[in-house]
Amino acid sequence: MNYEVVMGLEVHVELATESKLFCSCSAKFGAEANENVCPACAGMPGMPAVTNKKAVELGIAAALVTNSAIAQVMSFDKKSYFYPDLPAGYQITQWFAPICKDGWVEIEAGSGKKRITLKQIHIEEDAGKLVHEPRTRSSLVDYNRTSVPLVEIVSNPDFRSADEVVAYLEKLRSLLSFAGVSDCKMQEGSLRCDVNISVREEGSEVLGTRTEIKNMNSLKAIARAIDYESRRHIGAIEAGSGELIQETRRWDDDLGETFSMREKETAEDYRYFPNPELMPIRIDEQWISSIRDSLPEPAHVKYERMTTQLGLPEHDSKIITGSLNLSRIYEQTLECFNNPKEVANWIIGELLSIVHAAGVADDDCAIDCAKFAGVLRLVEGKTINRAVGKKLLAKVYSEGVDPDEYVAKHGLGMVSDAGALEPLLREVLEENAKTVAEYLGGSQKVFGFLIGQAMKKTAGKADPAVINELMRKLLSDIDRKSV
Amino acid sequence: MDFDMECFSTGYEGVEPGDGSVALEDSIMHKGRSATAGSRMLEGFISPISATVIARLESAGYRILGKTTMDEFGASGLFPGAGDSPTSGSVVAVEQGLAEFALCNDYSGSVRRSAASHGLFYIHPTYGTVSRYGLIHCVPSMDQIGIVCRAPDGGERVLSIISGNDPNDGAMLPDTGFAAGEGSRGRKPAVVAVARNAMAASADSPAVWDFAERFEAVEFELEHFSLIGAVMQALCCAEISSSLCRYDGVKFGHRAADYKDMRELYTKTRTEAFGVEAKLAALAGAMVLAQENYSKYYDKSMRLRRVIKESLDFEKYDLIALPICSASPEGLLALHSLPQLCGLPSITAPFGNGGVTLIADAGREDVLFAALREALKL
Repeated sequence: MNYEVVMGLEVHVELATESKLFCSCSAKFGAEANENVCPACAGMPGMPAVTNKKAVELGIAAALVTNSAIAQVMSFDKKSYFYPDLPAGYQITQWFAPICKDGWVEIEAGSGKKRITLKQIHIEEDAGKLVHEPRTRSSLVDYNRTSVPLVEIVSNPDFRSADEVVAYLEKLRSLLSFAGVSDCKMQEGSLRCDVNISVREEGSEVLGTRTEIKNMNSLKAIARAIDYESRRHIGAIEAGSGELIQETRRWDDDLGETFSMREKETAEDYRYFPNPELMPIRIDEQWISSIRDSLPEPAHVKYERMTTQLGLPEHDSKIITGSLNLSRIYEQTLECFNNPKEVANWIIGELLSIVHAAGVADDDCAIDCAKFAGVLRLVEGKTINRAVGKKLLAKVYSEGVDPDEYVAKHGLGMVSDAGALEPLLREVLEENAKTVAEYLGGSQKVFGFLIGQAMKKTAGKADPAVINELMRKLLSDIDRKSV
Repeated sequence: MDFDMECFSTGYEGVEPGDGSVALEDSIMHKGRSATAGSRMLEGFISPISATVIARLESAGYRILGKTTMDEFGASGLFPGAGDSPTSGSVVAVEQGLAEFALCNDYSGSVRRSAASHGLFYIHPTYGTVSRYGLIHCVPSMDQIGIVCRAPDGGERVLSIISGNDPNDGAMLPDTGFAAGEGSRGRKPAVVAVARNAMAASADSPAVWDFAERFEAVEFELEHFSLIGAVMQALCCAEISSSLCRYDGVKFGHRAADYKDMRELYTKTRTEAFGVEAKLAALAGAMVLAQENYSKYYDKSMRLRRVIKESLDFEKYDLIALPICSASPEGLLALHSLPQLCGLPSITAPFGNGGVTLIADAGREDVLFAALREALKL
């Protein structure tokens, strides 16, 4: 029997605002517990909600980059339930009149291009975070995240494979991060994804029993969870055990399994109703077009520009536009050092290997672009060679050194004076008589070894072109003499 | 202090009563002072902030005398048949001359009724014109700080001080300032409309007619008058039930002493600390908002609220005059709900042998004051 997996996604994305959705507390990630809390987001009485305009604008930007139909009037509603991470006892969300509906995102997965359709996007506030202390059998609440603005992007059940899900999430991350809507960092929880999954016989029109899986913290975890859960569904269908029920399941990444979250016997009634504390917000054409006009260049347009106007290889353009951060580094460095291909080569060949070796993701790489350009200028002007340049770049990345000062202070300037290099090369030839003999006997490959030895003697500072030429000259002199 | 403090839940030491002093209902938050909204739930709760109205009054030279008693979250007015609730402390404080005036949130209309029957005036400003920053939430779509005062002129002065936009309240109307004295310059009312069906069975009808006939009096039928009380109860209970969700024993306010898990913490805390009316409102509100009831009760009430508001036609008249007494409890709630349901300004005034409530179009407080000046020969 062949089966088809059917999935829909609910993606929560934290909006990149300075402050929270309904108060002026900082919305930044990584503060001390309960540092970013005021009476309003702590749910105290007497604190009216004041909508953060920037959050609505980022919501409109999210609607624009997902081709969604923006509502003329949106409003906020209350979703009520008791839980300690929800200080007011209700979450402010959009239930009746969300900011937009009916969008789509085009993805490219194994099967080619595909359009994923979106049911809606709505703005809502995040909840706080519970920290359980098994030692004291108590729970602590951190309200920093309370009321941080989110958009929830709800797709239709258009996904048929984990590859499509991953391609969609990568596309969303690119669209939203380039538009400045969110930094979309899964590891910091600013992009979270719940998967609604069901399995049916291929060709069937009827959907199978659906489960919702939560708590995946990486694309890899999402793919693994989908794989596990779809196999669990197929197993249950084939066994005819009837164990499949509509429920929410938590993914355990260490065990590689999903577990039932043991919902209450009856479904919770959230008692949605329009929030009487907040006026509906009118979104007119003028507002939309001013946001549309100020949207930064999206990744695919950047990609086109890099491959056509700047003449970069597709591979390089793809890597650089794969991360908003990298494309910013590229553009800022290019402003100080106008050689598109060289900057791209150095980012992909050198910078990324330094960054990855330090275990840092492309999105988190931080470097002073003016100093980066300074390194490139030193290499271009032959003040230092490429190998020294790479070491210098590592210093610029890790310690923020000034490239010019550092080179001067440590005497890293390239030695291109043949007169100064010749005695060193002669020493190498004397010390490696056996290798020289091999070379003269016709073995070209030992040449590199001799160059390496010579570089060592100059502490890597020799001009490779000069040293190559000089070495060949000295060797041919020996050859001639021996004849 | 050597005056009767019964009407105060907290009197401030060393503040001189009398002219220039203000009493605040205990639902208005004053930094560093207790604010209970009349509920055991908030016993010991100290306000972290001061309401915008307090800052405005203090900078105009007024002194805060203390916090007056109130029925729990102002909810008892929603159940007028359920028994007598004590007279609002705000009314007592002004009647006794302790405070020049008092501020309170009279969303259920019970304070204004009691004010007029004690010979005082109650000014209910246009919705969204006085900041609610620091006013404990009860019914956010109707919550509005109003003024209990001895004479309209004093109230008019206070209104001009406390009204006006505040960036800390996200649901205010733009350009909401009210300048005292506009009444004398503003349009004097010519036509006063009396709602025929609201007059039935009211002991105040002679007073209302007497008032209206000092102008050109017209009669009209107030649409859905018999449903207003029910609409009011449904909407207020829904909103209160939501406003009270924050009281769960986790963060502030009362917390039950013993509980074995989270659920018990919630139920014990709320069972212990809410009184009968708060519980009734929370339960009724949760029922109104339940999924299977939403369209039948909440949505229908919202539609009626809109229909009622749209039926009022201030092109045809300048003011609506309503009586303050009714033979039935439901009638009482209906009589004192129209301004809150429609977000309109009103003044409830003692008049003749009874009282009258005057309602004007949004933002036309000037017409209300002008009418009172004319009728009372001030």
